[in-house]
Amino acid sequence: MIAKDLLDKVLQKAMSSGADFAEIFVERTKGNTIEMIDGKIDGITDNLIAGAGLRIFKGLRSIFASTTDLSEKGLLACAAQAAGALASGTAEVTIRLAETIPANIHRIERVPSGVPGRVKAEIIRQAYFGAKEYHPAISQVSARLMDTDRNILIANSDGLLTGDRQIRTRLFVSAVASRDGENQSGSAGPGRQMGLEMFDRIDPRQVGTEAARQAITMLSAGYCPAGRMPVAIENGFGGIIFHEACGHSLEATSVAKGRSQFTGRLGEQIANIKVTAVDDGTIPGAWGSVNIDDEGMPSQKNILIENGILKSYMIDGLNARRMGMAPTGSGRRQNYLYEPTSRMTNTYIADGPDQNEEIIRSIHHGLYAKQMGGGSVNPVTGEFNFSVTEGYMIRNGEIQEAVRGASLIGRGSDILMDIDMVGKNLDYGQGMCGSVSGSIPVNVGQPLLRVSSITVGGR
Amino acid sequence: MLFEAFKEAVIAAAKQAGIEEYELYSVEDNQSQVSTYRQEIDSFSSTVSGGVCFRCIRNGRMGYAATELLTEEQAGEIVRRAAANADLIENDDQTCIYAGGTEYGKKETGSVSVPGSDALVDFALRCQKAAYGVDPRVADGTSSTAIATASTVRIYNSKGLDLENTSAFSAAYIESVVEEANEKYSGWSFRVGALQDDILQELAEEAVQKAVSSIGADTAESGTYTVVFSGEQMYTLLSAFAPVFSAENTQKGLSLLDGKEGETIAADCVTLVDDPFYPGSPVQTPFDAEGAATRRKNVIEQGVLRTLLHNLKTAHKANIQTTGNASKYSYASNISVSPYSFYFAPGGQSLEELFAQAGEGIYITEIKGTHAGANPVTGDFSLESSGFLIEEGKRGRPVRSFTIAGNFFTLLKQIAAVGNDLVFDIPSGYTVYGSPSVLAEGIAVAGK
Repeated sequence: MIAKDLLDKVLQKAMSSGADFAEIFVERTKGNTIEMIDGKIDGITDNLIAGAGLRIFKGLRSIFASTTDLSEKGLLACAAQAAGALASGTAEVTIRLAETIPANIHRIERVPSGVPGRVKAEIIRQAYFGAKEYHPAISQVSARLMDTDRNILIANSDGLLTGDRQIRTRLFVSAVASRDGENQSGSAGPGRQMGLEMFDRIDPRQVGTEAARQAITMLSAGYCPAGRMPVAIENGFGGIIFHEACGHSLEATSVAKGRSQFTGRLGEQIANIKVTAVDDGTIPGAWGSVNIDDEGMPSQKNILIENGILKSYMIDGLNARRMGMAPTGSGRRQNYLYEPTSRMTNTYIADGPDQNEEIIRSIHHGLYAKQMGGGSVNPVTGEFNFSVTEGYMIRNGEIQEAVRGASLIGRGSDILMDIDMVGKNLDYGQGMCGSVSGSIPVNVGQPLLRVSSITVGGR
Repeated sequence: MLFEAFKEAVIAAAKQAGIEEYELYSVEDNQSQVSTYRQEIDSFSSTVSGGVCFRCIRNGRMGYAATELLTEEQAGEIVRRAAANADLIENDDQTCIYAGGTEYGKKETGSVSVPGSDALVDFALRCQKAAYGVDPRVADGTSSTAIATASTVRIYNSKGLDLENTSAFSAAYIESVVEEANEKYSGWSFRVGALQDDILQELAEEAVQKAVSSIGADTAESGTYTVVFSGEQMYTLLSAFAPVFSAENTQKGLSLLDGKEGETIAADCVTLVDDPFYPGSPVQTPFDAEGAATRRKNVIEQGVLRTLLHNLKTAHKANIQTTGNASKYSYASNISVSPYSFYFAPGGQSLEELFAQAGEGIYITEIKGTHAGANPVTGDFSLESSGFLIEEGKRGRPVRSFTIAGNFFTLLKQIAAVGNDLVFDIPSGYTVYGSPSVLAEGIAVAGK
């Protein structure tokens, strides 16, 4: 995207006031979203994101500047601005960039940005009618197909010059069921690091049907009861419990500055012995995968917790300095406007020793959380929440009537010990995770598991 | 290429493509931010962002395309893509590029200057020092941040409209961490406005006191409570449920307020105001994202729903005038609907009087996870909360790790009193939510 000679010059300029590290990140991302509502294509957004973010470090201090002007003049001005903000002496540095091409682990067969809109509209139509025709009480459906084609280039003063092209596709359907002046909603949103070949494996009509099924089920459900009880959390997006209760607190963003419950606890038992948790950015075709992170480091599989023992944090370049530890390929950013920091990729609890039927049978009175919504956490205190969007009561070891959504809340350090049964059907769910470096695609995942006791926010 | 030159290139490309009705919408944002760790600046950032969106009408349908790269090639590209996108649109909505005609209101904000980076550095360091000085238990992880931001929106269209509005403000916030007996507690405070000495100590004390006052908090007992929401928490709830007041959502069946204009939807003491010119707001605008004039209105007046929020399209469907609430989530987005300074009008009672009226109950000072635990389509919410018990009409011991659950439409009717302590959130675009403390009865609490 930018000539190597110019990158050399920009980095030299950025280093000219005494920085000990400089990095430029150049991005060109095409984004396209087509939405159908009321049975008609109703809205299209079509955008090109283009710009550069430039960082310099001096010790633990970071300075960041961005520009949308990718001309020589614009990039040098951006570098001069960053260097000017540091003003820690003068230096003449020679940069010799050596280009590296990372291994591409994601085969893309049909690049969405090159496919005519009418072909995409047909996929959306199938999803829409899959939901709309599911039941007469479905009053509204919105079906969206989103694709991004992200080209990035990263060069730094250590001589690194690399880049990646990341293509993602996601279908998102939300359905509303109405009866007697009351609404209930349901949604489904599979996403992959794939092109439109994603729909060779995922039937768009089924995605619509799933969203509608949830809305209809909830329409005739009663309220969820309130209080502490055992909860069986289903696979897929159920993995949000680990993402919120522990994942964010293992990001160096929190750990390095003591803003985490898990600072200084490597090698200690922080979870039940049945819990092994992984952040793996290398899963082919997965929503949260990246060939390289946004600092140019190859993505890797990081074992976070092994049989309950804390093994690793997720660490970016700057926090690696602060912590005196190696980075883990976890530096991510929404786009060039954000400084990268440690973030999750595909984070999951691995299959465990228990039989899924046993998990349900073990609960005398509790909740079966089948579908989950999002959540949040305060890493300082470890207090987290996430919402159940489709639940069922369990009585005497059997799944019974459906109950409406409620939040589940707790503290990360408690809940990790309370995950006392782990089943065998690991699967993933897709989400957008929001944090200091913006909104990024992540997978969460787990098999069916049991939490022995958690506060259920019903009424 | 600067905006003016890019605009000319787009006009030429549109003409060549035979497109007669079109609009250019441009946003340029400049933001500087300084953060601290211990007693040092650990990060400084300065970003320039924004882009240009082109939309046009072809065969009665509206197409959009946007870019951040202002080049000759992109000028032609966004015209071509917007036209192609218009051809895919299937809805029968009334489309229009606005010609103007109504008179624009006047902003009350004077100058739009914001502090430079030296002033930000200085203020952030002094906040940090003040925070550590409030209490010996203040610990690492405490961080002070100062921000200056400016945003310029331009609209130029084929009907002769040529508008520009700049808004700018500075803000500071402190995130405190307090440690006692190996347990950590957090607090947070912010101020939007001039970074002056007189707010410094207050800001530091508020952030640290929030953390300190939660020490020793226990879980509340499950049950049904009378609840006092702090202003900050009530506007957090309002922000989660603001989409229910959008005519775009009512018309699409995504809000239960469809057809409820003129009906009582809230308690008598509830008045909800939308004001693009709220005095003191740093994000005032005389025109909306379609170029239509904005104006103040009561959305709820003493419990009665007076109007929904409209843009040109939704107003045409409802056969009324637009309320001037057309918005864009980002420069690249399609036109939607958003409020401006959107707030519950203050009542007459102090916070202490609300506690006295409640007698026994819970004072909610934090709710979390509204993006997941509050659903504007159904009105249902179930939210992680913390706060204090209200005992014998006074603020009592701290409580945390419980949820409050209910339905927003029911909550509006459960409001029994509104306080006099109106506060506002940090603006996002031209939207900023506000509320005084509010007393509501019959809220379900799940704890132990």
